[in-house]
Amino acid sequence: MSLAARHLEDNGISTVIMGCAKDIVEHCGVPRFLFSDFPLGNSAGRPNDADSQALTLELALRVLESAPAARTTVQSPLRWRDDASWKLDYNNLAKLTPDDIAERRKEFESVKATIKDMPGRK
Amino acid sequence: MATTAPETKTVFAAEHDVPIPYMQRTRDYYQALGFSPYRWAHFVDVPFAPLRTPLARARVALITTAAPFQPEVGDQGPGAPYNAAAKFYKVYSVPAESTPDLRISHVGYDRLHTSAEDISTYLPLARLKDAVAAGRIGALGPRLHGAPTNRSQRVTIEIDNPELLRRCREDGVDAAVLVPS
Repeated sequence: MSLAARHLEDNGISTVIMGCAKDIVEHCGVPRFLFSDFPLGNSAGRPNDADSQALTLELALRVLESAPAARTTVQSPLRWRDDASWKLDYNNLAKLTPDDIAERRKEFESVKATIKDMPGRK
Repeated sequence: MATTAPETKTVFAAEHDVPIPYMQRTRDYYQALGFSPYRWAHFVDVPFAPLRTPLARARVALITTAAPFQPEVGDQGPGAPYNAAAKFYKVYSVPAESTPDLRISHVGYDRLHTSAEDISTYLPLARLKDAVAAGRIGALGPRLHGAPTNRSQRVTIEIDNPELLRRCREDGVDAAVLVPS
């Protein structure tokens, strides 16, 4: 998505990315980025919370209008929850047992096989 | 009479209360699983095209990585396990007027802490329509566009991105909101 934003911008279309993976988007380098410190899957706000979604969009629109230069990141002030321990879970090896890892390896092998066999894959 | 300033207590955030270091987590995770690490593209230069039309008169595109629902390829519902069969490999477009059925079971969203039960958490189409109705945005593009999450950066750069640009130009948009899921 970061590569797409760069290509559109290169061709005169202003862009803003709404996302939850701060390091990945900033590593690529994009013109404008509204970052929500939420679990992946909530780039546009909290579930079943139209106010949070409206605020998230409004912040993105303000970034689109007023970023002074490329690589502008604004972080939404919204918190997923007060307790930040959810951030310790995602793909965190420190929380997985050797059995967990073996199981996930098997799952990933099967995912790769599925993708390899798919029509339309490039 | 001596006065004392009201006591202020500085409360620091917890050590782990920072944006998740996804790149490090992902590298370590796939290495432990025995797979070669993904290398993320990065650049020194970043393009910048200031918005030339006031937003209230601008036409805005919505671009998503969500996938059209395909009933024949298994569970894509809220909380579904990662479903590689639901992936798509070509740019697609659907009318923005409708409410398309787009899902995110084909990407690595945080299945432990969220469930993708509300499409508006990953596709701000309803909120964008609200913004148009409120006069905040001039108009939405006639279509929203789907960008594949191809692992090959070459395919993204040489095939998908030019196609997205072509469609955005056809739609006459001034700006684009891109929402990775």
